[in-house]
Amino acid sequence: MARKSWQLSRRDMIKGVGVAMALPYLNAMSGGASVASAAAGSAAKAMPKRFIGTYISYGVYQPDGPGGLPKKKADGTYEHHEWSWWPQAELGELKSFNKSTKPFEQLKDNVTYLRGLDHKGGYKLGGHSSGDVFLTGADMAEIETTNNISIDQVMANHYGNETRHSSLVMGTEGGTGSYLRTKTMSHRGPGKAIPSMHKPDEIFNRLFNPYGDKGIDQVRAGLKRDASILDLMMDHSKSFHTRLGVEDKRKMDEYLESVREIEKRVERTNDWTHTPLPEVDKDSVNLTVDHKAGPGEYIRCLYDLAYLAFITDQTRYVTYMTESEQSSSSELWNYANYVLGYKGATHDIAHKRPQVISGQWDLWRAENHAYFLKRLADTQEGDGTMLDNTLCLWGSAHPHASHSGLNYPLQIAGGKNMGWKHGSMHEFVGDKKVPMANLFVSMLHSMNIPMDKFADSTGNLDQLLRA
Amino acid sequence: MSRFLKTICSAVTVSLCAAGVCAEPAAKGLAGYKAVVAPYFEQHCVRCHGQDKSKGGITVHSLNGDLSLGQELDKWESILDMLEFGEMPPIKEPQPKKAETQAVIDWIESGMRDYVKKASQELPEPKTRRLTNVEYQNTLNELLGFELDVMSDLSEDPELHYGFNNTAEYMRMGPEQLDRYLEIARKAMRAAIVDAEKPEPYKKRQEWKRIGLDRGMALDEFGLWGNRRGSVAGGMSLQDYPEHGEYRLRIQASGIIPPGFTEVPLKIDMGTDPGPTETPYKTVGELYLTNTPDEPKVYEFRGRIENHPSSLVRQGRPPNAKLVERIAIKPRIFYDNGTLNDGGNYAKVRQLANPRVVINWMEIEVPVMDAWPPKHHTDILFESPLREADEAAYIRQVIERFMSRAYRRPATRAEIDKFAKIFGIIRPAVESFEYAVRETLAMVMISPQFLYHTESDPATDSQFALASKLSYFLWASMPDAELLDLAAKGKLNDDATIKQQVVRMLADDRANGFIEDFTLQWMSIRKMLTVPINTDLYPRFLYLVSAGETRGTEVPYRVTVRDYMMQETVGFIGELIKQNKSALNIIDSDFAYLNERLAIHYGIEGVKGMKMRPVPIKPEDNLGGLLTHGSVLIGNGTGTAPHPIYRAVWLREAILGDHVAAPPSEVPALEETAGDSTEGALSIAQLLEKHRTVESCNDCHFRLDPWGIPFEDYNAIGKYQPKVPKDGTRVSGFDDRKHKDLAGYQTYLESINTVDVDAKARVPHGPEVDGMRELKAYLLKERKDDIVENVIRRLLSYGVGRELTYRDRFVVDELAEKAAGNDYKMRDIIVSICLSEVFREETQAKQAKKD
Repeated sequence: MARKSWQLSRRDMIKGVGVAMALPYLNAMSGGASVASAAAGSAAKAMPKRFIGTYISYGVYQPDGPGGLPKKKADGTYEHHEWSWWPQAELGELKSFNKSTKPFEQLKDNVTYLRGLDHKGGYKLGGHSSGDVFLTGADMAEIETTNNISIDQVMANHYGNETRHSSLVMGTEGGTGSYLRTKTMSHRGPGKAIPSMHKPDEIFNRLFNPYGDKGIDQVRAGLKRDASILDLMMDHSKSFHTRLGVEDKRKMDEYLESVREIEKRVERTNDWTHTPLPEVDKDSVNLTVDHKAGPGEYIRCLYDLAYLAFITDQTRYVTYMTESEQSSSSELWNYANYVLGYKGATHDIAHKRPQVISGQWDLWRAENHAYFLKRLADTQEGDGTMLDNTLCLWGSAHPHASHSGLNYPLQIAGGKNMGWKHGSMHEFVGDKKVPMANLFVSMLHSMNIPMDKFADSTGNLDQLLRA
Repeated sequence: MSRFLKTICSAVTVSLCAAGVCAEPAAKGLAGYKAVVAPYFEQHCVRCHGQDKSKGGITVHSLNGDLSLGQELDKWESILDMLEFGEMPPIKEPQPKKAETQAVIDWIESGMRDYVKKASQELPEPKTRRLTNVEYQNTLNELLGFELDVMSDLSEDPELHYGFNNTAEYMRMGPEQLDRYLEIARKAMRAAIVDAEKPEPYKKRQEWKRIGLDRGMALDEFGLWGNRRGSVAGGMSLQDYPEHGEYRLRIQASGIIPPGFTEVPLKIDMGTDPGPTETPYKTVGELYLTNTPDEPKVYEFRGRIENHPSSLVRQGRPPNAKLVERIAIKPRIFYDNGTLNDGGNYAKVRQLANPRVVINWMEIEVPVMDAWPPKHHTDILFESPLREADEAAYIRQVIERFMSRAYRRPATRAEIDKFAKIFGIIRPAVESFEYAVRETLAMVMISPQFLYHTESDPATDSQFALASKLSYFLWASMPDAELLDLAAKGKLNDDATIKQQVVRMLADDRANGFIEDFTLQWMSIRKMLTVPINTDLYPRFLYLVSAGETRGTEVPYRVTVRDYMMQETVGFIGELIKQNKSALNIIDSDFAYLNERLAIHYGIEGVKGMKMRPVPIKPEDNLGGLLTHGSVLIGNGTGTAPHPIYRAVWLREAILGDHVAAPPSEVPALEETAGDSTEGALSIAQLLEKHRTVESCNDCHFRLDPWGIPFEDYNAIGKYQPKVPKDGTRVSGFDDRKHKDLAGYQTYLESINTVDVDAKARVPHGPEVDGMRELKAYLLKERKDDIVENVIRRLLSYGVGRELTYRDRFVVDELAEKAAGNDYKMRDIIVSICLSEVFREETQAKQAKKD
């Protein structure tokens, strides 16, 4: 059996493996976090405001009512199935957690459930594609068929310069996918999907070993050379500007912009060579992927990398597409089989909704996400925990019936230091229905980004924040 | 009915007008619209496709009746298709007179034709698209002169079902993509250009003695399941070997060939040690041994060591331990007749009855020192007195030579200047000349002239553009010396030469790159690899080891029948192209593309050996054509049961060329579908009934489901299975206590499979067909032209690297007409595509510009 993913014993830590650097926001060792040295005086620093958006595909099990919303009974209470994705029937304070939400019980005061939110822009995308707009809210069928900027990138545009990497984009399948078949949650703007990274080893190296075996002077000299060469390349490439059509010109702009962007990155990388890299022992993370023997290991490994990126402050904005809606050519297609022994493709669960398997599948996904939240909650940071400084959005762009794009199942967690209140379930239906983009506006508010409009937002959900 | 035949029919209709059976042909343009088309729409269409309802997203009331403006012609085309197919108005609605519909069809067609003629002179289709990963990989190999695996370093290209990803729309560029290209270019140059200092080659040799025969097998031999500890089955491992370079692996081998066998199939894998599950390795080569241990032979393999995955291991003891790369070379027999995985003691007995391999020794050398520096190095840094005398002049020549290949056309003076300047920046800053050259040429490999298709490059003339178009179409790679040479002489762009080149190129091994890339995308085959096969019901389909049968784990290095199924489909299309056979073989053929393992799976007797090849078949074999390929039937099933809807979609998309829309959102998914589980599966009749009771489903499924029902003769793993259990029968999975062995399970299955499968369906606008045989007969009789037209459209779309639009309609008609007059021969179809105006369009435009 594969080694557990990022898991350090106290002994390891004392020996000094794991993360070895002055962790920027760490006050004291606690829980499972393993840290060689903590920076004195870091508490004085303002706490970071982080965001992670995590996606699960094919909807969830919600047999208690149509369209992902529990049915209201004659007496005013709601139908509730023991395997429902929603932790309890009633709105308001979270009092009980049913079978598939059990893993979140221990985090009760740190999670909030939201019913009835969705993106109108995804309605016409067809039954397997609204995942495209989960973090963008773009009007895909009508106007912005190229999709549009995702919420994590808005954040990255504002504060991304404060860390070595402005954002980290991960997914279990990798790449950008294409229209209606996205494999990434993040978009820089219309037509600019950011390919997700799916190989743990590669992500680790990007984050913690970007210079390979080169010395820092060598790296700097190389970067300097690259900058001047790219300048010439830019010049050279302009001659390619074709005289054909608008479409061709747009393609070439795509290329030229990429060169320009790399130039900028070279500059940025160079600037960051003056800041020491965190030393994270590669042996402390299990970076080998074995879909069949350890599907959970793989999902959690990427969560661990997000955790490591956060704790070392390499980035503050992460997206993680744990499953895509179009995974028929990937091993993810068989995960329900590997995990539960389900005799069918993972996607079939959404269509057939076999009772117990659906619930168990949701439970497995919940366990993985709760594992990550728990890691954050167990790591002290300033007066609180890492979770208090990290807003975590988790959900799917389909409810129970996989062909629907209404009423996403959504959970938010963490971010208490950013003002988020937790411990309840809210519903936005009927005349209270608002776009999910309103939630995004409040997210921006909580991160000191003064924007009052995102995608099709009509206001905000600041009621979820402390006054 | 196909479009061009329709044109012929319309001529017939016109002649009937004299007899007074038909309406007046509509006047051209707006007048005809007002007089004929608009009233027709009003009467037959707007109720569902108008202001109030817009079923299928089509509205007719808002269309502009002046086609010469070129507005919404794609919509006009889909209306045209609907009318031609007779799909609209729906059968349950009052039907217009045939002549009325024909008048509308003619009006749309003629308006469209006029517009296309005008537009093609003014608005060329967009051309600028980057290479796909497949094209990039092949181009890189060709450019370097050796194979360097970079596919896994690239971000995945999008995958489409039934379409091709080599279009501008899908081949996007972003900083992350470009960054990867830069990394790969540096890696490639590191491999291509060696350091000045001659390295000491790494060598290792291992021998195995012919001892231990008293215990069954000697140490130098092994069987299907490996063998004794310390035998050659464990292979040879290398540690601390060079990271780059060509290796030469030599083995002395022979086969122990029991009666009934003619050869022993052996493959050599090299990679990290095989674990219980996923093992990264790459195959070095395959052998079909026919020589016996009395006459051992030496076999040689070559490859690049960096293409094989390695692992890090600790060498030595602490505190002096160091981490070194380790790689293992494993010989494996891949003989398989589908009954081998019995495990336990049984396996030991069978081991001796099956073919075995004797390997006396293995030796490896890396890098190969036949010539130093190696050819791929001197191809770039060629010998020249200039090198010492005038480095600046020499480097200009180096750049020119390399760039003229990388750009697939002669480098211009300005380009050479620019890169000489880049070299000038790098050279003083780095320690070696070789390093500076690597960096400079890596930059050539991230310029758009390399990364994008050649025809969009303004510095490319028509001849070179054509050379690249042909090579990326037929090889998925860059042009070779012969094509570039013809282009340089200005002799390529001529009908006879193109024809001769296409035939040459398709006969070349490089055409396999195109055939595979094209076929797998067109037929949407890859999804079959991830269909979870129900190992309870199909215990021998995959190759499960250790616990054996259903409880074991699948080992990736064991080639299974599923892998051969992919090769079957690709090889079958390859056969049609290379042998210039009729495209209609797709529906039915007198041969199948098989090896022994596949033949056993399909129940064909007398096929021996693991090499895939065309094999003659008889009608009672229930094979022939593509529709019964395991890859298709499994890919469009659930792994437990067939799935008539998936199979129907596949048939309509891949074979008939229709576009089947995805289920709209807000349509509730059916709670259960057929093949849900071993027990409790709904029968097909029930499934269909269920679909039809929901109106929103019925709209589409009425036209869809009947196409999938006739496939019911074939089960979830693609075997012909005309009998099924009675409704409601519970089928138990394989259980070795109950069924003892596979034969016992087979007997059990036969005892419960008592009912004839229900594979009857009335095809939309057609007759009732019962099962695959009748479906094929119907397709060949009634839908021949649609099928061939679809083949042409797919080939053309792949060839020109864009989706076809209404503008290509008339070109396709012409090509289809030509194919019909030539027995639909596949290679000839490709030749005529390459000769067609639309394929050479850009080339012609460039030519015109030059003249």
